[in-house]
Amino acid sequence: MLYLELFIQGLVQGSIYGLIALGLTLVYGLLRILHVAHAALFTLGGYIGVVVTNTTGSFPLAIVVAMVAVGLVGMAVYKLAYEPLLHRPPYIALIASIALFIASEEIFRIVFGPFGLSYIDPPLQGQIEIFAGFRLKYGEILVMGIAIVMLSALAWLSAKTRTGIAWRATVTDPEMAAAFGINIQNVRYLNFFIASALAAVAGVLVALLNNLVEPTMGSVPSYKALAIIVLGGLGSIRGTLVASLALGIIESFGTIYVGHLLDRDALAFAFLILILMVRPQGLLGGK
Amino acid sequence: MLDVKNLSAGYGDIVAVRDFSFLLKPGKILALLGVNGAGKSSTLMTLMGIVEQKGGEILLDGVDISNLAANRRIRQGMAIVPEGRRIFSDLSVQENLTIGGHIVDAATLKRGIAQAYEYFPRLAERMGQKAGSLSGGEQQMLAIGRALVSNPRLLLVDELSLGLMPKIIDECYDVLAKLRSDGMAIILVEQNTERALAVADDVAVLEAGNSVWSGSAADAANDSSLVETFLGTA
Ligand SMILES: Nc1ncnc2c1ncn2[C@@H]1O[C@H](COP(=O)(O)OP(=O)(O)OP(=O)(O)O)[C@@H](O)[C@H]1O
Ligand SMILES: [Mg+2]
Repeated sequence: MLYLELFIQGLVQGSIYGLIALGLTLVYGLLRILHVAHAALFTLGGYIGVVVTNTTGSFPLAIVVAMVAVGLVGMAVYKLAYEPLLHRPPYIALIASIALFIASEEIFRIVFGPFGLSYIDPPLQGQIEIFAGFRLKYGEILVMGIAIVMLSALAWLSAKTRTGIAWRATVTDPEMAAAFGINIQNVRYLNFFIASALAAVAGVLVALLNNLVEPTMGSVPSYKALAIIVLGGLGSIRGTLVASLALGIIESFGTIYVGHLLDRDALAFAFLILILMVRPQGLLGGK
Repeated sequence: MLDVKNLSAGYGDIVAVRDFSFLLKPGKILALLGVNGAGKSSTLMTLMGIVEQKGGEILLDGVDISNLAANRRIRQGMAIVPEGRRIFSDLSVQENLTIGGHIVDAATLKRGIAQAYEYFPRLAERMGQKAGSLSGGEQQMLAIGRALVSNPRLLLVDELSLGLMPKIIDECYDVLAKLRSDGMAIILVEQNTERALAVADDVAVLEAGNSVWSGSAADAANDSSLVETFLGTA
């Protein structure tokens, strides 16, 4: 039964990784930019979630507000930070992204204070017994539920709607997409909105599970999400999801069995190195 | 319908087309010929609004479309079959056609796709298949079909026959002939000079971005020095 417990805990963590890393993959797939500042949007989502919940008392409202607000901020990041650099080598955008990420921590410190915020009355703290001796918090179940709903919605959007098809066409060949009248600027805005909204919902959920948001909340996810998208084969959505869940599960088992050797966060990179030695193109990457 | 005057175009500081003028009427095919790097593809992509136009006018039914974005030009009735086909390889056949009709409403899109399948029944058999897994000939059919979905009046076709089997080439040319007889105007870039001269009404020859010859296809075919001088031996 311990195995099953660890497995489920791993899925919860993996769902969060997936929500964060997917945004990175979407940005990389469209613009070939490593969007390090994505993790700042994750943190921003956490702050907005806590602040809105504490002021209105409504957690669902907080999720929606965080997604929309952070989605819009993500669009602004594209417009102000990345668009002017698109015709430069990609490492320039990467440097801008890192700078933005570092600056964001200081902005959070100034705006929300250095010590972090918590939910005054944390929602969804109740537990439910999954099987004898194993309980999950409602919040943890919500994490998996939201991940499934969000990813299904995204899968539906990209496969079944004309907007989604245009989006995928733009990823494949932006110039040809433009030649058929697709407004690729709008595709980029949509891409950043969705990527950022997913990070925001992950931020709200992590804030819920830890009952804490602090300025540095994004630092570990920022590099872990980079590891995940490399692991998934850069740009592959399915690879990102597989890598996210795999990493969640491996960390979950690893902290029990090799936790005395490697800490949770080091495990991610040990796993990354190991996989890349065997499959340099990532788990599901092409060549 | 299309009146191009002193068109110049290029990439940044590079000028790929200089002072190019020509006229095209409905139901006519203009063959655009020239050796590699002459500026044929650049001309088509400029007409489509993708490559930067540096000077001149592009008059479609008397209206200068030089400053319109591609989506507006498609609305005005233009569509392109690009060099190298450039189908969206990760998308299915049906999805590629959907992109071809990106700017039209749902009902027109449905009709346009049905029409494309009518022209190329082999695409209908493969509608759910990933476009990247099609054979070269099928990909060219898809590229043509994709351009037809928006129901254009002016079709820009780049390298129709390159790398295709004779039977497939015939099939594609049959479709062009049918389209022309329905009144479509076509600009055809073609490596195969003989083939191009056989189907075209008019010919324009580019060399290093400059227009060096223009006239009727019949005159071009009879002018053996033209073929030798500008097009290599046919
Ligand atoms: N994306 C680009 N950036 C810079 N220069 C380009 C680009 N595309 C084409 N050129 C240049 O523009 C000129 C014309 O090229 P273009 O592709 O239009 O020729 P073409 O007649 O279509 O040749 P081909 O028969 O080989 O297809 C060439 O000198 C080429 O190097
Ligand atoms: Mg060419």
